[in-house]
Amino acid sequence: MVLDLDNAKTSDITAIKADNLQKIYRDNIRAVDGISFSVRQGEIFGLLGPNGAGKTTTIKMMITLTKATSGQLHVFGIDVSKSPEEVREMLGYVPQSISVDGDLTAYENLLIFAKLSYVDKKERNERIQNALEYMDLSERANDLVKRYSGGMMRRLEIAQALVNRPRLLLLDEPSIGLDPSSKKQVWKSIKQLNQEFGTTILITTHDMNEADELCDRIAIMSEGKIAIMGTPADLKKGVGGDIITVNLGSACPSISFPKEIGTIILDNEKSIQILTTNGEEAIPLIADFFKSHEIKMDSISINKANLDDVFMKYAKRRLSNDVYKTVRSTRRDFTRHSR
Amino acid sequence: MNIVRFVKSSVTVAEMEARKIRHDSTELWTRIIQPALWLLIFGETFNAIRAMPSGNFSYLQFITPGILAQSVLFISIFYGITVVWERDVGIITKLLSTPSPRSSIVLGKSLAASLRGVFQAIMIFGLALLLGVKIRLDLPDILGIFAVVILFAMCFSSLSMLLASFMKTRDRMMGIGQALTMPLFFASNAIYPISIMPVWLQYISIANPLSYVVDAIRSMLLSGTYANLPVDILALLISTTIFVVLASKTIKQLLE
Repeated sequence: MVLDLDNAKTSDITAIKADNLQKIYRDNIRAVDGISFSVRQGEIFGLLGPNGAGKTTTIKMMITLTKATSGQLHVFGIDVSKSPEEVREMLGYVPQSISVDGDLTAYENLLIFAKLSYVDKKERNERIQNALEYMDLSERANDLVKRYSGGMMRRLEIAQALVNRPRLLLLDEPSIGLDPSSKKQVWKSIKQLNQEFGTTILITTHDMNEADELCDRIAIMSEGKIAIMGTPADLKKGVGGDIITVNLGSACPSISFPKEIGTIILDNEKSIQILTTNGEEAIPLIADFFKSHEIKMDSISINKANLDDVFMKYAKRRLSNDVYKTVRSTRRDFTRHSR
Repeated sequence: MNIVRFVKSSVTVAEMEARKIRHDSTELWTRIIQPALWLLIFGETFNAIRAMPSGNFSYLQFITPGILAQSVLFISIFYGITVVWERDVGIITKLLSTPSPRSSIVLGKSLAASLRGVFQAIMIFGLALLLGVKIRLDLPDILGIFAVVILFAMCFSSLSMLLASFMKTRDRMMGIGQALTMPLFFASNAIYPISIMPVWLQYISIANPLSYVVDAIRSMLLSGTYANLPVDILALLISTTIFVVLASKTIKQLLE
């Protein structure tokens, strides 16, 4: 494959620009609730969040499989709602669930897709062969895809998205259901694509390792909104450091925890999680606190900050407030309907 | 919309189907069983007892076009189920995410259905010859029959895709397919002439598109009188266009 991009990894060109993007489904379900973000050309941008946070819906709006209820969405400066076909021509899309055709061979899958993407006839065969090689599928190119393993199907899926040389690749949970070694292989190809061809990549995942490994910047979505956005390093710094987990020997009475030591981010009957700036220093203080309140502790563990914590912090905050209300009102509606 | 690209995409979608059939054609062969039974059992029996006034033709001659039309109808009216299945395994998502216009995808899918229809027509031709049914074998007539079969399959498969956009599940499509095929079939001139029907049913059969298809095929296969043919084909063309346009607007709903 030929390299035709300058060395600068990211440029000033905006690949994706979303302004107050909103998607409301029937019954006022706000799948995406007014998000704004932009992705520069050459970036690997991660959309993170728990199931149902609105990641897939956001991607579907980009690939024009669903229409935004309101707001603006531009891909390389082109309005998605005005020129959907033009936008699709610049995109490669790997959906969350396997979508290659099992009744065709790998070669045929790529051929049909290349034709539907109007890849020039003269280049077509070469590109297909390249994509197959790149994804390490050449040897079994003429086997029916239904005989492939899950990892191979996923790789074929990515190969398919590559035949039209997309400027922007949308990957919806690309490593879901893959074994660790296939996962590593997929990660490697994603990075390679980004580095060798300067392909801008938008990836959704709820695997924090994946995001940390691949993404230049991430946005954590929760309940259709972007809870926070930044580089993985900044976000990790933002969670304020370390998490101390105290496993309790007996049920915890309601206590007011001194702010100087840290803040409780999760507590249930058996354990309490405390967020502190410096875990090592906080451990003795925490131990003293529980002792003075005569609460029996089984163990104390420390967890240095990683993206999981960022995720928990931002996904959790909303879980405790808004979601609870939604659940309650849904339950009320349900009772009303069933009456 | 770029017309060259449009045609290319439609043909490619049909090509996809052709390639699948090449890998596994079992379904096509099993589909010959039902029409074969109609001809062999129903046709031969009624031919022997001469219970039906089939005009200048033997009853077996009379129902051959009817059975041909019926089996193409079955293929196309249930085509929506195939599309729903393809939605379930993600193929529709993939097709709709390509730069190809959506109408070309729908048109291509209906061409794919007509591919199966043509195969079915060939089989029934063979069967009829095997049973010694006297049919006209002029090349223009045969080509004409294939053209009608293609249009007919396109028309009803796009109607089926239109319905599938709203029905969304295979079970519902199965139900609605059953609910449509039987009245269409029995309220048509496929297995008996319209003249022997009760009057109310005659009115229905005039509005029944299957009657026109059977009429067109019968005129080319048996009588060689083409007076009605332009009307038959025009009606098919118009309804095909309408259904394809409507279905390409609605098909995205399958994904929601």
